[in-house]
Amino acid sequence: MMARRYGMCLCLALAALPIVGATAATPAAVRVDFSEHTLKNGLRVQLVEDHTTPVIAVNVSYDVGSRNERPGLTGFAHLFEHMMFKGSKNVGDGEHFYQVFTNGGAMNGTTSSDLTVYYEALPANQLEMALYMEADRMRSLDITQAKLDNQRQAVQEERRLRVDNQPYGRSYERFDEVFYDKFGYKHSTIGSMEDLNAASVQDVAEFFRIYYAPNNAVLTVVGDFKRDEALATIKKYFEDIPRQPAPPPVDLIEPKQTAERRETLTDPLARAPQILIGYKIGVGNDADQAALQVLSSVLQGGDSSRLYQSISKEKELVSGIGGYVEERIGTGGFYVTATVRPDQKPEVVEAAIYEEIARITEEPIADWELQKARNATRLGYLQSIRSAQNRANILGSYTILFKDPNLINTRLQKIDAVTRGDVQRVARKYLIPTGRTVLTTLPAPAAPAAPAAPGP
Amino acid sequence: MNTVTHKNTVLALLSSLLFVQASAQAPTPPGSAAPAGASTKGVELKGKVPVNPQTLRVQLPKPQEAVLKNGLRVSLLEDHKLPTFSMQLYFNGGGLADPADKRGVAMVTASQLREGTKQRSSREIAEQLATLGAALSSTAGPASGESVVSVTGLSDNVEQTLAIASDVIRNPTFPASELDKFRARFLAQLQIQRANPGFQAQEQFMRAIYGEHPGALVVPSEPVIKGLTSADLAAFHAARYRPNNAFLIAHGDITLKDLVAKLEHHFGDWAKADLNKVSLPPPKGPEKARVLLVDRPGSVQTSLWIGSLGIERNSDDYFAMLVMNHILGGGPASRLFMNLREDKGYTYGVYSSFTGTTFPGVVVASTDVRTAVTEGAMHELDFELQRIANEPVTERELTNARRALIGRFALSLDSPLSLMGNLATQKIYKLPADYWDTYPQRVEAITPADIQRVAKKYYDRGQLQIIAVGDAKQVGKVLEKYGAVEPATPM
Repeated sequence: MMARRYGMCLCLALAALPIVGATAATPAAVRVDFSEHTLKNGLRVQLVEDHTTPVIAVNVSYDVGSRNERPGLTGFAHLFEHMMFKGSKNVGDGEHFYQVFTNGGAMNGTTSSDLTVYYEALPANQLEMALYMEADRMRSLDITQAKLDNQRQAVQEERRLRVDNQPYGRSYERFDEVFYDKFGYKHSTIGSMEDLNAASVQDVAEFFRIYYAPNNAVLTVVGDFKRDEALATIKKYFEDIPRQPAPPPVDLIEPKQTAERRETLTDPLARAPQILIGYKIGVGNDADQAALQVLSSVLQGGDSSRLYQSISKEKELVSGIGGYVEERIGTGGFYVTATVRPDQKPEVVEAAIYEEIARITEEPIADWELQKARNATRLGYLQSIRSAQNRANILGSYTILFKDPNLINTRLQKIDAVTRGDVQRVARKYLIPTGRTVLTTLPAPAAPAAPAAPGP
Repeated sequence: MNTVTHKNTVLALLSSLLFVQASAQAPTPPGSAAPAGASTKGVELKGKVPVNPQTLRVQLPKPQEAVLKNGLRVSLLEDHKLPTFSMQLYFNGGGLADPADKRGVAMVTASQLREGTKQRSSREIAEQLATLGAALSSTAGPASGESVVSVTGLSDNVEQTLAIASDVIRNPTFPASELDKFRARFLAQLQIQRANPGFQAQEQFMRAIYGEHPGALVVPSEPVIKGLTSADLAAFHAARYRPNNAFLIAHGDITLKDLVAKLEHHFGDWAKADLNKVSLPPPKGPEKARVLLVDRPGSVQTSLWIGSLGIERNSDDYFAMLVMNHILGGGPASRLFMNLREDKGYTYGVYSSFTGTTFPGVVVASTDVRTAVTEGAMHELDFELQRIANEPVTERELTNARRALIGRFALSLDSPLSLMGNLATQKIYKLPADYWDTYPQRVEAITPADIQRVAKKYYDRGQLQIIAVGDAKQVGKVLEKYGAVEPATPM
């Protein structure tokens, strides 16, 4: 077992270096100190002792997502996640969430294209229970046809709820199909009904063996416990779960896009046109990501942003506008979404967005805008690390997504180091017409039982 | 309402459970349930999990309190863990204080607070707050008892943040041009919201329960929104946004001495005013059971909301209702979830909830199910609502409900918003000072007979309102079993 120890608890310390040119006093630096350990079977363990509240939070992040699916089995990673609540050798079907909620805890599991996470927060006296249940399903998931059929139905209802029965549901799904070329990100995480129907018990068992191995996971525990005791309990329950060969790699780096991509859908459930715009960017946590985050904050972060002020408030073209940067393991995206006022034309809105993008590439942003991006990021960061559960989730996610859990402590510095010149440079580099994908959704008269169909 | 739905919130993160906590303020989104037989039909307990039998008892932190010279009452939960602060200013008088012909004034007043002051334009307010890394929002609902302003920021910037907050809270000018823009934006957004079947079901349900009472309004009516003037907002503001009509709850990296000094500086000369007491006749509730169907041709799911009129927050039935709701549909370990989702696979989520403020709230069980199983889902929902009313809950269900409801206090200590919410609840409803300390005993006092009694009383079959939003051609017949189906007009 290797151990890298950083300290004991969440603590405050004064930053050693003044920020050059800052008008305000140097803000207090905040760190999340964690220790790292690797068990004999390859399971990475991260521990944060924090005795300020009597809670414990556990996160198990698996290095798998819908990126690892193959054609014909879309939606499988997420369907599998549901199976993880259906029981294992010593934990009954549904018992996991039953025990957590019955003992005053909260929990969930989520699947994205890049990773699958399971987490629970509980009163501090239930740490052993949480570790026992996570270990038992990592070791001995109990897979049957009846359980698979049961969760297939729940997942298909989830698809209906979020996609098929929602305005713009199909548009979000279609967007990735147009935006991406490589299969890993080209299909939706929820998957198609047809593929969900095709998933077999054998597929579940195979997926479990390949991806749910201890050497393909990170266990993070944050809260009110003694580290040595927690580590001993973790070793007791996890360390003899057998290691598996490393999963096959997936190519998630997109070829350079050379021409704009554009599509129009009609949607009988929509009552106003919507525009989705995405620009290809690099991989998560690369050297340009901090500047892209600042760029997004200035362009579309909140009601002080340029897009909101110009297109929603001044020109009154949209009922909603905003966006974000998605940092992925592979090629990510810079997204803008606008919901067009019923009395306005999508092409006018689109042109207005490009006008603002042109302006940000041509002139440097204002000092206050840079300050805004820094402070908004700082407040968001501080809020995000307040709860034990969030800290556990961030550490686990950063480890899988960026191979760097300590990013929890360095991200703010990266944002603070971004200059006005950097913002202009990344705007010019990425927000270009040839890197762009545009999907417009138009309301259509209701057609009986017809899902939104691709347009011409 | 300025945000748009980002694609990743829709598709990228798929949760295995969509757990919606029952809330005393608002109904949960659609969900529903159906039973089968044993209450834990969907769960299998193997008895091997090392559960600590002790429920961790915790003390909620006690606030430090002060009163400003102008009468504003201040409570602080001091916490230096992180260099941030939050405060919430509660004014007595939300939508319930609206003029009867202008139900919506409180909501629009709150939403227009930061759209201009004597010193700052809307844009300057947005830019200055953003530059400080601060967030300020204000809300009131058409049926809320309070208008609430929330401020969060970096503790390095408390002084500057409070300067802007004070200007926004005390000196809004409600420019007509901003109100016009708001109106157009709001009506466009409303059109989009009303495309959502869950929202449609909620609007229909509230109207069925409350009739003419403002509790019926999820959002104000379009004619009211179109007719409001700046003068309406200014009048509401002048009457309600007053220091002697408010209390302030703060949390974070600041001492009481420092907080009070800063508040006296920025709010000290804020004038008191004579206050009108809000009084409103209580809602009558539904006179008879009804089945309302909103036709959504081609809908692949049916949204179902079933319930009736419930209790006030101060009701003697509160704790019985709390425990009953927990067992019926208060989360994934509940009867509804275990039956309709885990056993039957009809739905992604099904929950029950209850609300209640100074007037009686609702009790409701809700879900979205695929169209083809609407009949089965209705059967199971009906079964569970009857079972909880007609049979005592098991000893194990009761024990588990107690463990859950008491045990979750520990988690609330890790959530300043929960702690602030608890304090606000205590103040708004004038609950005793030891209310949260004695909460566990009150939960433990509830018996199976109490649970059965409140289930029978509030999920009374003679008053049950059943709302369905779905494809009428396919589900109309199915619903007739539960009463004459009335077509409901979408709002």
